[in-house]
Amino acid sequence: MTVDDTRRDPGIPVAAGREERSPDPRFVPIPPEAEERSSDPRFVPIPPEAEERFSDSRFVTIPPEAEEALPPADTVTGKLGRAFFRRLPVWPLVEFLSKKKVPRHRHSFWYTIGSMALFFLVVQIVTGVLLMVYYSPSQPWSSVQRIVMEIPFGGLLRSIHHWSANLMLLALFVHLFSTFFMKAYRPPRELTWLTGLALLGTTMFLGFSGYLLPWDDLSFFATRVGISELEKMPLLGTWIAGLARGGPDVTVDTIGRFYPLHVVVLPLLLLAVLSVHLFFVQVQGVSEPDSFRALPPEQKRYHRFFSEYLVNEIPIWMALAALLVALSALFPRVLAPEADPAAAAPEGIKPEWYFMVPFQMLKLFPGSLELLGMALTGLIPVLFLVVPFVDRSVPADRRGRVATRVGVAFLVYLVAMTVWGMVS
Amino acid sequence: MNYPVWDVPFLGAGMVVAIIAIIHVLISHFAIGGGALLFVAELWSDRQPDGERIREWLHKYATFFLVYTTVFGAMTGVGIWFSIQLASPEGTSLLIHQFVFAWAIEWVLFLVELTLLYLYYYGWRKNSRRLQVALAGLYFVIAWGSLFVINGILTFMLTPGGWTIENRDMAAGFFNPGYLPSLLIRTLVMFLVAGLGGLLVAARLEEEGGLKERIVVFCSRWVLPAALLLPGLSYWYWKTLPSNTARLMAAGATGLGGGRLEVMTLFAVAAGVAGTLLVLGSLLYQVRPRALGVAGAMALFVVAQIGFLGGEFARELARKPYVIYDTLYSNSLWKHKAAEAGYRQQPYLSLTRWDPDVVPLTPQHGEWAFRLQCASCHTRSGYRGIIPRTESWTPLSGFKWLETMDQQGVPPPFVGTAEDRAAISSYIQSLHGKNVGAAEILAEAQADGRRRSDGGETREVMP
Ligand code: HEC
Repeated sequence: MTVDDTRRDPGIPVAAGREERSPDPRFVPIPPEAEERSSDPRFVPIPPEAEERFSDSRFVTIPPEAEEALPPADTVTGKLGRAFFRRLPVWPLVEFLSKKKVPRHRHSFWYTIGSMALFFLVVQIVTGVLLMVYYSPSQPWSSVQRIVMEIPFGGLLRSIHHWSANLMLLALFVHLFSTFFMKAYRPPRELTWLTGLALLGTTMFLGFSGYLLPWDDLSFFATRVGISELEKMPLLGTWIAGLARGGPDVTVDTIGRFYPLHVVVLPLLLLAVLSVHLFFVQVQGVSEPDSFRALPPEQKRYHRFFSEYLVNEIPIWMALAALLVALSALFPRVLAPEADPAAAAPEGIKPEWYFMVPFQMLKLFPGSLELLGMALTGLIPVLFLVVPFVDRSVPADRRGRVATRVGVAFLVYLVAMTVWGMVS
Repeated sequence: MNYPVWDVPFLGAGMVVAIIAIIHVLISHFAIGGGALLFVAELWSDRQPDGERIREWLHKYATFFLVYTTVFGAMTGVGIWFSIQLASPEGTSLLIHQFVFAWAIEWVLFLVELTLLYLYYYGWRKNSRRLQVALAGLYFVIAWGSLFVINGILTFMLTPGGWTIENRDMAAGFFNPGYLPSLLIRTLVMFLVAGLGGLLVAARLEEEGGLKERIVVFCSRWVLPAALLLPGLSYWYWKTLPSNTARLMAAGATGLGGGRLEVMTLFAVAAGVAGTLLVLGSLLYQVRPRALGVAGAMALFVVAQIGFLGGEFARELARKPYVIYDTLYSNSLWKHKAAEAGYRQQPYLSLTRWDPDVVPLTPQHGEWAFRLQCASCHTRSGYRGIIPRTESWTPLSGFKWLETMDQQGVPPPFVGTAEDRAAISSYIQSLHGKNVGAAEILAEAQADGRRRSDGGETREVMP
């Protein structure tokens, strides 16, 4: 029997003479061909060109500006900093960011709204992951009930997730309109604007998909109504609705679809689009309103982004964090009774406020007018999508002023419809 | 408003008191801590080469301080009196009568406090340095004295200690178990708030010659005593809470309370979170004083306001269902009276101070009984709304629930006859849009009772 045989089949008894050398036949010495292989010339010496590459000037030297900016070489941070920049040639990036400025003017506050939305997103991810620990899509309602009733701080987490979702959407809408009125969508920032719209859309879908997951009365019927409105859409409506529900009605199979959408697909999409959005913002800087741009250079005042501006964001995030906890204490998210698909829909089922406009429009255009209502609702995103290609002039010209007026009308319309939908 | 019952839609009377109170409490803590800051900053500025410029900032601080504490403090302070006596006339009356001397002292202190503040502020240019320092110091001592007094009354409501309705021992009620930890906690918190106010005023300074940095560091240090001592003091305070309250609060955290009263715990958590964030925020500016901007400083103030909301709400809720712990329920029912034989079986409306004189078993009967006996704690559909809480009620189950409502944990015992219960149950049905007459419910209940005694059945457990 050869060594190789033994290795292949541990069940075969080992010859007596071998035993002392290797008590366990499975652990025989390295076979000669393996021994040989390890001395394979491909694996042994570092090839000279690699040696060279490592000493490539890009990787070794620290630019003199960096050397200056870092703490002294004999301190721990100084050593770490040098080690870092010796390995990663990112000094130009650091330099770029350290020069980044944020304009200071009367409307500066609005710049913060985007970072507020970002903060809420972080809260959503953290609380969402924690909720996933106990949520089970096969027993949606009872697992949520367990989170609320039994799991320490489970009810709090759920309420925070709920409030943070709503405030994130609110922040996004405010961000949308504040950038709109600052005319930040104009060249060269069209793509920032478009990715921003995509982020808003994705977040709304996140809200829609998450709303069903607790499987209580409210969420079930609101989702059922929502999807059946979608169904009325011409051409693709039936197909989309069927795909979303996984059948002719909302069932546990729908959760099977919404859950992975809510926790994997949409968040990944959101993060991907967000990185593009933030990349643009970082590279191009925030836009300046015309009034600021018109100032003579000596009157333009700026905050340095690192760390002056950023440090002042932190207390704002803190206030938001405290606000989330306070809202969750004042208005905890209650879990309604488990959904009963056979029961009649409770009266006055309404979508969440951020879907109130299409809902209200469909109420206003009943029966055969429904398509008209849908078309009008569909116009809203279209108008936002085209505005950067229509209003392009800096400083604003006539078109710019028209865009502002349309924006004001839009804002009034959206708020009025939402409030109307909520109180009626 | 429906005199003599203050029926506030959606919020409830208690909530209105609470909203005014949390605004007032932040201001009043600032009013005392800020005095300490004025005093210390006066001394500090004397030792600095650029003391004049520090005092320029201090003057801005004093202006903000004066306007904020006297105008808004006075408005909300009066607002509290106005609202508590509407929300709980019995409780207010007890507090006034029990602590007459304390109140008298308190108002004298307020008067002196205000006088000193005006002397200090309007003497800014005229007074000597020594006089200014003395006025600031004296202001702080007197203002802190007003805390010393009010703290006894506030803590009495939750932990009356050796005070009972029979002995009416004012000293025992005043220096109750919660007195000392609460006094220390509030003192540290007011230093913290004073520092935050300082940051708010310093945020507008232009950064030149390191002055802003020094002032910001000076102000942010005021958080340190609270940061170091509050955890321990909070534990002490927690230990003085009635065991029942402490148990409920802990159950709220673990969910063992079945969601019941979890709100109290949530508010305590909110206070803890806000406190921690304030410490971190202040330390942030200690490290990066130059960065301080108005938005950041305001945000910290918002955090403080939320912290007060959490702390004060938790304290208020800890007392539920009482206004004076273990003595007087929120709906002006005295515990010792409820315990008297036969008291609870009397017709309810005849016991109230303002008998609305309605015909028994009419819808008005139910509505008035609800207003007088339930509305001090429950709104209809808003805060602690009765509608969501009675979703599963039938006319009969509601009638029975009321009879034993004090056995459900928190609510107070029911006072009134079977007619009262039928009337309230009928009223609650009407809130759900169902029209079931009180007389019908009463008949149904009587039939049910007979059936039960005929069948020799034992009392059924409530659903
Ligand atoms: C002193 C304050 C107080 C008064 C007065 C009061 N309640 Fe309550 N009630 C509470 C508290 C506290 C709870 C428990 C916490 C909660 O449900 O928010 C409660 C709970 C309830 C519940 C829910 C019980 C459950 O198990 O879910 C109902 C129903 C209710 N009360 C009805 C009434 C009615 C009817 C009256 C008038 C007869 C009344 N309450 C008077 C404080 C009060």
